Amino acid sequence: MTFGSGAMTNSIAEIGEAQVILVSGSNTTETHPQIARRIYEGVDRGARLIVIDPRRTRLARHAHIHLQIRPGTDIPLLNGMMRCILDENLVDDLFVEMRTENFLALRDMLYRVDIAQCATLCGVDEEQLRLAARSYARAQRSVICYCLGVTQHVCGTANVRSYANLAMLTGHVEQEFTGVDPLRGQSNVQGACDMGALPGVLSGYQPVSDPSVRARFERAWRVELPTTPGLTVLDMTHGDGSSDDAGVRALYVMGENPALSDPDLGRVRATLAGLDFLVVADLFLTETARLADVVFPAASFAEKSGTITNSERRVQLMRQAIDPVGSSWPDHRIIIELSRRLGYAMNYQSPAEIMEEICMLTPIYGGMYHDRLDNGEGLQWPCPDRRHGSTQYLHKYSFTRGRGRFEPAGHVPPAEAAEEEFPYILVTGRVYHQYHTGTMTRRSDLANREYSRPLIEVHPDDARKLHLRSGLAARVVSRRGSCVFTVRVSERVAAGHLFATFHFAEAPVNLLTGSASDPVARCPEYKVCAVRIEREA
Amino acid sequence: MSDGTDDKPFTPANPTCIIATGGNPYLPRPAVVKRIVEENPTVRTLELALADEIDNAHFTYLPGQFLMLSLPHCGEAPFTFSSSPTRSGSFALTIRRAGLLTTAVHALQRGDTVCVRGPYGRPFPLEELAGSDLLFVAGGIGMAPLRSLLAYCLAHRSRYGTVTVLYGCRQPGEFCFQQELQQWRDDRAIHLLCTVDQGDPAWQGRVGLVTSLLDEIEVNPGRLKALVCGPGIMIRFVIGHLQELGLPAGSIITTLERQMKCGIGLCGHCHFDDKLICADGPVFLGSELPNLERL
Amino acid sequence: MHRTLILQKDHLLPLLRKLRKDNRVIAPVRNRFGDTFFTEIEDFDNAAIDLDQQPQTSLKSFFLPQSETLCRYVTGKHPESGALEYSFHAQVPVRTPTVYFGVRSCDLFAVMYTDLVFRRARERDIYYDRRRSDAVFISIGCARPFADCFCNATRSGPFLDMGFDLQLTDLGDRWFVQIGRPRGVRLIEEWPAFFTLASEADRKAQFQVELEARGLFRRHVHVDLAVKLLQEQPDHAAVFAELSRRCQDCGGCAYICPTCICFNIADLRLDEDGGERVRTWDACTFAGFTRMTGDCNPVDGETGRVRKRFLHKLLHDVQKHGRPSCVGCGRCVNMCFGGVDIIRCIEMLAAEGENGSGGRW
Repeated sequence: MTFGSGAMTNSIAEIGEAQVILVSGSNTTETHPQIARRIYEGVDRGARLIVIDPRRTRLARHAHIHLQIRPGTDIPLLNGMMRCILDENLVDDLFVEMRTENFLALRDMLYRVDIAQCATLCGVDEEQLRLAARSYARAQRSVICYCLGVTQHVCGTANVRSYANLAMLTGHVEQEFTGVDPLRGQSNVQGACDMGALPGVLSGYQPVSDPSVRARFERAWRVELPTTPGLTVLDMTHGDGSSDDAGVRALYVMGENPALSDPDLGRVRATLAGLDFLVVADLFLTETARLADVVFPAASFAEKSGTITNSERRVQLMRQAIDPVGSSWPDHRIIIELSRRLGYAMNYQSPAEIMEEICMLTPIYGGMYHDRLDNGEGLQWPCPDRRHGSTQYLHKYSFTRGRGRFEPAGHVPPAEAAEEEFPYILVTGRVYHQYHTGTMTRRSDLANREYSRPLIEVHPDDARKLHLRSGLAARVVSRRGSCVFTVRVSERVAAGHLFATFHFAEAPVNLLTGSASDPVARCPEYKVCAVRIEREA
Repeated sequence: MSDGTDDKPFTPANPTCIIATGGNPYLPRPAVVKRIVEENPTVRTLELALADEIDNAHFTYLPGQFLMLSLPHCGEAPFTFSSSPTRSGSFALTIRRAGLLTTAVHALQRGDTVCVRGPYGRPFPLEELAGSDLLFVAGGIGMAPLRSLLAYCLAHRSRYGTVTVLYGCRQPGEFCFQQELQQWRDDRAIHLLCTVDQGDPAWQGRVGLVTSLLDEIEVNPGRLKALVCGPGIMIRFVIGHLQELGLPAGSIITTLERQMKCGIGLCGHCHFDDKLICADGPVFLGSELPNLERL
Repeated sequence: MHRTLILQKDHLLPLLRKLRKDNRVIAPVRNRFGDTFFTEIEDFDNAAIDLDQQPQTSLKSFFLPQSETLCRYVTGKHPESGALEYSFHAQVPVRTPTVYFGVRSCDLFAVMYTDLVFRRARERDIYYDRRRSDAVFISIGCARPFADCFCNATRSGPFLDMGFDLQLTDLGDRWFVQIGRPRGVRLIEEWPAFFTLASEADRKAQFQVELEARGLFRRHVHVDLAVKLLQEQPDHAAVFAELSRRCQDCGGCAYICPTCICFNIADLRLDEDGGERVRTWDACTFAGFTRMTGDCNPVDGETGRVRKRFLHKLLHDVQKHGRPSCVGCGRCVNMCFGGVDIIRCIEMLAAEGENGSGGRW
């Protein structure tokens, strides 16, 4: 990446102290309420809030500037803002000189950018765009928070780089209260990434391609490791199901529900059905587990001990509160037993012992022993050894990769544009009362009562045109499939856009979404999908 | 005509008996479906009797009160009685198919067991209605609680003056208790006017909102008591219209609907300003309703 | 019998140990992560009773658990007739004598409020009643109010005149003991060796502590003014619109509030043949709290819901019970992510009363 590591550069509490908070592609109040709390605090203290989002979210109602862009136009927006910063001499020259590289490439690219054109492309007011650029650049302490609205695009990586460019251009990184903060979604998704649940890295983002890294792990595990990156989730779930050598033949899915959460579900389900062998470990019999040959009942967070790493890189110890229900086991026990039967005996007595190995093999987790984490608040990585404390914010004196590198990016149009047959753009997302594919929340009477049905948000103008009213059923059709939703007429979406969630198995919105994805991160474009909508009898 | 002929002695002053549950107000008792009447494609009337014969013999209620009805795996919901307490041995609930529980109600068959607890709530003020002309104004399924009262009043016909029933539905197919109402009209026990919001080719009657029927009848503010039940917005307009016709708010009686979980004034779901619909209502005088906008 | 006694501080733990023989003892205990909660003490040698911090939650969950099974149900088809069979079997809590020690005035006052609701209804909630009947309260008058406390303004503290069985006041090396309800008398009679008569000097010292406590409140919350303003005019559209703009619909305020006792009842299907009828806490700020079948909602919109919550506390309960149902514990101040707490509401109402406009804060 541009800075060299993939995590929030700040701590959550710092957001409340910023002077300008730029939130992009994040429905923060519903998906990260704890962070929204800090944003409210910041705004109460006088901070300016800039929200970049195609939807008028709850947070956008508090924004001083809401740039309601067309989905997938982050790059032109940021290029326009950076051009404005360049034109008005708001660049932090010293920072750029001392701490970054490749500035000239960015500058040359920006000189070819026309702000008015950018504004038109994004569908925002040019003056608002300039105002946002000035506010962000002029403040001493500006912070950027972004979420899946930025990353779930075909140009997700370039989007993130552009936000990083903006931050570096104005020197808003590597200090307290400034930075670029990805808000991580599920509990411990940060921890999963930290532990190498990514195709190209071992734990702590150590590349498998590095022989010295491999050597260290090989010594510890006494096995030979593959030298090339593995497959991304999309590669695994969007195979053709054929039995050639390259295809995935067996899959072990832990706590994921790709049969509902992955894009282009028709293909996912065909792939899963075509496997020779599917194993699923989950709390409940999910849509994916129903397709499995073997299901392992897994224990929930309350039934096991271990650590969870949150958005701000904080590793926190969680203790078992109740005994596992029924015949469920914690995941680590399932893996250990499975491994033993497959002929590789793992011998760990406790999660603490597993953590000791993590500390040994993972520099950023080097000092994260359970006894140290038992301090009530955990530790933020990097924490290389026992003597090292928590790291509040990253890149204090230098970026992980040395100098921060500007990576200029041009507009990449979404994989699908609205056209005659599919004239609306569908954006997918989440709501407060449901969690992911509803594996847990749809079993809670109260959570389910609050948001019990798959709804599709339609702008009042579109609703009038289409003769739709709130409460009516409507069929949404894309190139790949169709589902039926209940209409909710709402001004939260702009005209021409629709919004639906992926929580509901009865209207699996990912039947509609496409599997076009970012070439680097392979994150699918969940946020843009061309559809048509019609009243369902 | 099944109701009303049974002239069993009935004393409204007699406090209603709560099904014996060993002091646990949350424990429902089994009741058996004795008969099902399909009122129209989406509404059916269940005639129920408590499974325990002694309980059933002691079970009394008053028009306007409600029961909590449970169905397996569906939870429970409140329903007002649509039968008259003058008819003993069973009681009736008239239920429109709308959600999970009511859909399950529509799958029930004769002989099936459901569970109930109650009766709960404040009934219609029967004593105060005596000697008055009565005007029933019903919208849609709002006819159910009024039918209970109507049947009760007709069982004691001599106590009341004229009885007028105004009944509005969205479509002609939605009327309930049709045979019975016609029978009463033919017997000249009541004056009946029906209307629909939207007619169909077969519909010969009036088209328009139920409020428009109010202009067709004679209102004697001194003698009249109006009993109104239907959707909140209808209640609001009918009350407004009646007041314009000179009827004091205290002579208008309505029954309200809310989400309810306990039925006994604890769970808080039916809070309406300083009142609890389940315990202070569901029957209210127009003069007791502080805020008609939020009905 | 003398109504005031002295309990030496050294004798407190021995007394609780004695009480433990025939009762559950619940007290504020600091856990290993530094958080203080009311907890049942089983091992007095290893429990850190913490009387210096406000317990993070009130006693609510001891009388109305966050989730409890009311009944079990079984269902099936009659083997011959095929008719649906269905029956309920109650699951009622066993009566357990319980001593609640270290209860602050606000939390005890909240129990008195919930008594009003649960024990004065037409039918008694036996689940609440059973837990409540065998409770003994040893409360502590607050010599030092916590940061967000305003029980002086809600008249539910810092010391109480009634409701407690024993009320303790910290006099440095000893506790000043006031006896309230009959169970307190019985407790003293059962364990007389622990208590000595209070002297005139003790009484004066207690009076002094109570007097000083009233001067130590950092929050000055005009509860009576807010009640008066709402009585005059309950709408205050600007205030509730602004509050609801920041509400994130999480229900935390209701869950943490010691007097928010609205609940939901739902069936939890365990298998084809049956399940449980479960009662859980609910919150009136949820849209589904009042939504009826067919999406009809008499309290629609977030402004309506936030308004309903505050009006219930500050107006409707005044009309119903003669006093607001806020006890001034201040817990909602820290709980709410959006700052939609009762102090903010009262301050905004008061500000509007002054300026004639709500305005942003």
